[in-house]
Amino acid sequence: MKKKVVSLLLVSLLAMSSMAAMVSAEDAVELGGTSEDENTLTVAAWDANFNIPALEAAGEAFKAVNPDFNLEIQTVSGSSDVEQAITLAGSSGDYSQLPDIVLFQDHYIQKYVMDYPDAWQSLGDAEINWDDFGEEKLSYSTIDGEHYGVPVDNGTAIFAYRVDVLEEAGYTLDDVTGISWDEWLEIARNVKDKTGYALLSMDHSGDDLPYLFMQAEGQSQWADGQPNIADNETFKRIIEVIVQGANDGTIILANSWSDYTDQTIIGDQVAGVCNGNWIIPTIEQNEGASGKWEITTLPTLDGGEGYAANGGSSLYITGNCGKADLAKEFLAYTFGGGEGAMDTYDNALRNGGVITCCVSASESDVYQEGVAFFNDQPIYTAIVEMGTHVPVIEQNDYHYRMREYVGNAITNIINGADIDSEIANAQSQVEFEMEE
Amino acid sequence: MNKRRSIQAKQGRAGWMFLAPATILIFIMSFWPMIQAFIISLKKGSSANMTWQEPLYHNYERILQDTTFKTAMGNTFLYLLVEVPIMLILAILLAQILNNRDLKFRGLFRTMVFMPCAVSLVSYALIFKSLFATQGLINSALMHLGLISENINWLGTTATARAVIIIGLIWRWTGYNMVFYLAGLQNIEYSVYEAAKIDGANGWKTFWSITVPLLKPTIVMTVIMSINGTLQLFDESVNLTNGGPANTTITMSHYIWNMSLGQGVAKFGYASALAFVVFIMVGILAFINMKVGDTRD
Repeated sequence: MKKKVVSLLLVSLLAMSSMAAMVSAEDAVELGGTSEDENTLTVAAWDANFNIPALEAAGEAFKAVNPDFNLEIQTVSGSSDVEQAITLAGSSGDYSQLPDIVLFQDHYIQKYVMDYPDAWQSLGDAEINWDDFGEEKLSYSTIDGEHYGVPVDNGTAIFAYRVDVLEEAGYTLDDVTGISWDEWLEIARNVKDKTGYALLSMDHSGDDLPYLFMQAEGQSQWADGQPNIADNETFKRIIEVIVQGANDGTIILANSWSDYTDQTIIGDQVAGVCNGNWIIPTIEQNEGASGKWEITTLPTLDGGEGYAANGGSSLYITGNCGKADLAKEFLAYTFGGGEGAMDTYDNALRNGGVITCCVSASESDVYQEGVAFFNDQPIYTAIVEMGTHVPVIEQNDYHYRMREYVGNAITNIINGADIDSEIANAQSQVEFEMEE
Repeated sequence: MNKRRSIQAKQGRAGWMFLAPATILIFIMSFWPMIQAFIISLKKGSSANMTWQEPLYHNYERILQDTTFKTAMGNTFLYLLVEVPIMLILAILLAQILNNRDLKFRGLFRTMVFMPCAVSLVSYALIFKSLFATQGLINSALMHLGLISENINWLGTTATARAVIIIGLIWRWTGYNMVFYLAGLQNIEYSVYEAAKIDGANGWKTFWSITVPLLKPTIVMTVIMSINGTLQLFDESVNLTNGGPANTTITMSHYIWNMSLGQGVAKFGYASALAFVVFIMVGILAFINMKVGDTRD
């Protein structure tokens, strides 16, 4: 009898704990759905310091000409909240929880349109002059010539340096512009010796530098839909640069994103930051370094200025939106380069530091101003200009998985593993994951 | 005769009615999803429009070639083999100490040991993460004590990252298991201990010859629960180390998450197959444990 009781207890506990695990693992965020009011659009987005001010600016701009209009912004904690909601809605075929418009990172839309075609509405008949946008940015959200997304920001990569630290080590910004990675490593060692600062850091759980550096070479980690890193001389040389920097102590590999931002950048450990320009608000949080930073382009393997882009997101109209005409009109008028674009992007820049990739909007005065934190350098217009040089490279849905396996390879190489076999290993692991 | 049967039938019906709500809920919320997961594990493709895998068992075949899953499995079993014994022994010793009638402030100590269980998994993982950060409290404490000369990268080095996860698990779950042992200890007559004392048995001997055998059903239960819990370990791997460095701390559940909702991969078919394999592992281990713990036959 006692045994029966115990086993019954066990079975129910097993069931309960596995249930609890499932619940906690799939604790998805509700995005709130649409509104019944015909003049209200709902949008889900994240980052109260960045995207939200941009959306608010757009809402205000559109309201100025449509007084009844109302933009309801549902703030979530990150892009992944939106992405998971889309995956769950798509899997269940129930889109009723999706708002009219969603914002998420650029790398996913291709797969989402392929997997959940009903979840999206094409922007084909929206009045948007697509030639006004950076080509590289649009390449993400354009599928078979059909536009699905309106860009909000601009992912153009910058390489920001602490010019006072460089000066202390005997260098100027010009000395680190247009150089080769070997020269950069040399400079970095000198800076480290003379000032104690590392010259770069990377979030080693996200590992975005290899991707950025490859793009600066005009190359992709992908070819014809397959990983292209094994026996890829350029890729190998880039990994060697990162490993060398890590071993020299000139490139800090942080354990997590928060370590990367809070400890290496805000915590004043590095004299250089290379990432999408959305990293600027993070750099600016170290107020003590105000006026000491300036930005430039990336080094390349054989010397010359490198251009790349990383991150950034776009707005998409979901299949749940019954007011597609209003949504298109709103997007076209604001982020899409219409009459309200100047106001939208000016306020987005002032309040959120969001830089546009819409060329005509970047001609506004706000963009030409020097920025005190960056030694009065007019960085915004410089970034928009850099953005026009970013090469379009092949993208893939497995972008983030590739980054993870490349990051693993870097760890193992630093720990003494053979570079060729580690890269080959990363390639075969990505290939394995891509198989059905 | 007839009447008695009808009373029995009536009682039986009443019994079933009492059991029904729980049974139906468990079936709908736990068993039905398991069956669905099994069906999905035979499929592939976009989660909106899944098609049958060819051959049907292909997802399971794939698992055998999956090096990342093997790493995850290795990690999980490492946690299991190191953490569960340490935790349970600690829990049983603590229970024994806190069961002592002469101990003052027993209730206070019991509460304190149990307290970590009240903390959410995510919060404690994040707190451990900041404690063991490269610029974190542990490093600066060790630094000021002069025990280390430069910061240790706790979460960026395989051995220490695993150790941190294990320490975290022990901190979080020891009190939880201790409560079960305390409850079990209440069922052991105090006179048995007194008799042992009169016979000249010391504390160590009493512990092994009386406490442990009499606690056996509780021990079996806690072992099964711990195995089950460890095989499904998720929050620590995700929040403390994000599986790193180089996947050396990733757990099976974390990998399943990556394959389903994480990082836009959305391979629900394959993820379900992995989940099912974990389910079978839990089942087998629980079965072995119950057989080993069974002394009646």
